[in-house]
Amino acid sequence: MKNLIKQLGFLLVLFFVSQVQAASVQDMDVIELKQSNSNKVVFKIRFQNGSIADPAEKQGLTYATASLMAQGGAGGKSYPEIQDIMQPWAAFYYVNVDKQVTTFTFQVPVDFVDEFYPLLKNVLLAPNFDESDFSRIMKSQQNYVDQVVRASSDEDYSKYALEDLLFRGGNMQHLVQGTSASVKSITLDDIKAHYQHAFSRYNVTLGLAGNYSDELLNRLKADLKGLSNNDFTPPVPSKARLADGIEVEIISKENAFGSAIFTGAPLGITRSDDEFAALMIANSWMGEHRKAYSRLYQKIRQTRSMNYGDYTYIEWYSAGGRNQLPPSGVPRASNYWSIWIRPVQIASQLHDQYPELADISIGHAHFALRLAIREFDQLIKNGMSEEDFSATRTFLRSYTKLYAQGPEQLMGWLMDSHFYGRVNYLSELDKLLANTTLEQVNDAIRKHYQTENMFVTIVTDDSEAKPLADSLINNTPSPMSYSNLVKSGLPEEVLAEDDEIANYHLNVKKVTVVNSADTFK
Amino acid sequence: MKTTILGLTMGLLLIASGNIYSAEAKPDTSGKILPYPIYQHKLANGLNVVTVPFDSPGLASLHIVTRVGARNEVEPGVTGFAHFFEHMMFRGTDKYSKEEYSAALKSTGAAANANTTQDRTDYHMTGNSDKLELMFELESDRFMNLKYSEHEFKTEAGAVKGEYTKNFASPYSQINEKRAETAFTKHTYSHTTMGYFKDIVDMPNQYEYSKQFFDRYYRPEYNTVLVVGDVTPEQVNALAEKYFGQWQHGSYESKVPVEPEQTETRYVHLQNDTIPAYVSLSYKGPAFSDTQIDMPTLDVLSAMMFTSTSDLYKKLVITEQKVRSISGGASDSRDPGLFTIQVSMVEKEDIPYVMSEIEKAIEKVKTEGVDATLLARTKSNLKYGFAMGIDNPAAIANSLSHYIQLTGDPESINRTYAMYDKVTVEDIKMIANKYFKPEHLTIATISDDELGVMQ
Repeated sequence: MKNLIKQLGFLLVLFFVSQVQAASVQDMDVIELKQSNSNKVVFKIRFQNGSIADPAEKQGLTYATASLMAQGGAGGKSYPEIQDIMQPWAAFYYVNVDKQVTTFTFQVPVDFVDEFYPLLKNVLLAPNFDESDFSRIMKSQQNYVDQVVRASSDEDYSKYALEDLLFRGGNMQHLVQGTSASVKSITLDDIKAHYQHAFSRYNVTLGLAGNYSDELLNRLKADLKGLSNNDFTPPVPSKARLADGIEVEIISKENAFGSAIFTGAPLGITRSDDEFAALMIANSWMGEHRKAYSRLYQKIRQTRSMNYGDYTYIEWYSAGGRNQLPPSGVPRASNYWSIWIRPVQIASQLHDQYPELADISIGHAHFALRLAIREFDQLIKNGMSEEDFSATRTFLRSYTKLYAQGPEQLMGWLMDSHFYGRVNYLSELDKLLANTTLEQVNDAIRKHYQTENMFVTIVTDDSEAKPLADSLINNTPSPMSYSNLVKSGLPEEVLAEDDEIANYHLNVKKVTVVNSADTFK
Repeated sequence: MKTTILGLTMGLLLIASGNIYSAEAKPDTSGKILPYPIYQHKLANGLNVVTVPFDSPGLASLHIVTRVGARNEVEPGVTGFAHFFEHMMFRGTDKYSKEEYSAALKSTGAAANANTTQDRTDYHMTGNSDKLELMFELESDRFMNLKYSEHEFKTEAGAVKGEYTKNFASPYSQINEKRAETAFTKHTYSHTTMGYFKDIVDMPNQYEYSKQFFDRYYRPEYNTVLVVGDVTPEQVNALAEKYFGQWQHGSYESKVPVEPEQTETRYVHLQNDTIPAYVSLSYKGPAFSDTQIDMPTLDVLSAMMFTSTSDLYKKLVITEQKVRSISGGASDSRDPGLFTIQVSMVEKEDIPYVMSEIEKAIEKVKTEGVDATLLARTKSNLKYGFAMGIDNPAAIANSLSHYIQLTGDPESINRTYAMYDKVTVEDIKMIANKYFKPEHLTIATISDDELGVMQ
């Protein structure tokens, strides 16, 4: 065991970090990661603003501003002209906007960094803000909030819908891209004003990784002082609301193939808190992202054949359907914990597939939700065992070091570390995990998890919505409806547990059904 | 300018080279896109073992590339089986039950998973190089001795149905399925990797076939072991001999039907009002080859015609704003696949206009070829783009795995990029004429109309 940890310790110390320096130079936060054997330079320029900095009625403005900077002309050159210049170098840049930060990432082969630099500088300091670029980018953003968010992935849809519920009324509620109404109201003048207001020299963090010179760093530091002088203070993110009992919002959609479930409740700690490491161990054991050895996955997918996977989180995990490892760039000070149950079968599908299930009125969503919450209740009641604690802690001390496997990723994690008031979180996390005890984990479980008051969102087919709503609000028993093929081979103890789950009482106090067309208005 | 760019490319690749210490004769890397030597060692049973040492202290990626995918699903009623089998491979052996396998895998602390395409399943784990022997032991045990009950088999089928269920939410998944079965009438590329839903629902009944599937394909001749990272070829080869040396060679070869030549344009449409209107043009393309100029030329051509620096993009997306996005390219596949151009529209009414603009651009390439300077810039882009992307073992292993699936030989990566360098303006003209034929075209559309606008 010692060897495992020692070996991967090298990964961080030697492989990635030739030289990590963090310094606040006058008014600018600077993070360096110099790697003289690298063939490229990575710049990450982060503004602490994010969608919570959007003015009321102009939700999506930070996203629009950043998009116009990254996908529009700059320095008098049109966007296609910039793309043409970069083409032979394969240099590129993009922006990611989250709730509290906006991060521009630029990558260029070291051979061309001098020619590339003026382009980078223009994107940040001299965006053209052309009417034509504005029109193109806003069409795309409008289309996203009107259509794409509802149509491309029911799982992501249920997650955004949960945030809408959890943070309702606060600045964390709205989609980063805004709402159908607010995006329509954004003007080019709004964007110009917001650029001056929220993309300032006083809320910027500069990250430089790879094979760069000190001269380049100094030049960048000096140039970024040319950003707006507005003394921007990032807003305080709104807190997640505590539900009154279990409050369910069912989003009814035509032609949905399954029920996509996401549920969560406020969490008072983040990576800033040392106790987060203890809760990470519990979370990993219960539902490590995309891992077959976690508890929920084994109960719902492996044993009962109900869906593609089931995971739990103690912070926002971006694009979980695509990412195997957590991405950087989404740090948040306002937190919640959550359970992700990937789409389970609906009654109309089961009717078609298995004659023996012709009489069922709902599919598997109610049973799956009961099962997941019951597992958390047992964890809160019983805590983790010494064996599970030890195996999971060992796993995490190795696994978390894989989060950053190249300069771009490592710089992203270093920037997130600063957000949380740390220097190098992944490295600090290892020490925290090493010192965490089983008692601390079980204390954290009791302190931070509860299942009496949760918000739940379920995206499902319109044929399933009403019967599912009735079943949930009435706490109607929801026996698991297996096909005969699976049921005949299930062990007695599974069937006995199923009976308990089917009748497990959930503190459901409110269930609403909303039409998909009425979400994110 | 052209000379300067290419000269600098080589400089960039040299900078990226790491220090390699190995007693094995070091393969020559001069002039190759991958600046790291590729060591290959074939076991007596036919298993190819590939090692690429990389300066990543403590870290290594292990892949096992099984060259079996949806392409091999030749029998009716069992589409999606290669992908289903990927799921079954996590269900345990006599030595490690599925619970014990999970616990052992967890103890490696690695990031492990698998995925299946038309032509292969790739099992991969990235983690502590100190745990490499345990990784080999776990992998060899399941590849040689997989054992699961009929109940386990039936249960796992539900997870596949769950996967289909979550994918099906996207109209793009639905049109992909329709496009494949329209463009191909005989070849197995007519179904997607997931398989037909009716076959997925029937999967629990195919237990006996699953055993046959394992017996056919989970054999050394269908597999390649690849390790990239803080390892030496001696160490990897010794582990391969120890853990895979006893694996028995098989005898099965699937006979994949040949697709007859298409003789007229085909159309397929999905009525859906939840996403922007969409149109795709799919021409029959070549099989992957690293010795014929066809596929490398199509790769270069697509990078010139359908990316954000192309004339089409500038006109349709930037200037006229009739199109939200456009992309295009050939899928690398073992048998002839599709070259697909995809367009997300602003207004469905503009589909005929956008199609005519694409056809005009293709005609221009057929008759006039392309600008030589732009060709040189595109080649430079391909090389630098690759070089910047390979900054860790997992990224290098993923790149190599792609070429292993196609030819079985990781050196294909170097040959392919060398071919890019050879592509001429004349090649592009010739290849455009060879492949962009209306009678080889399948047009797919999505809109809120009952019928596609082109029908």
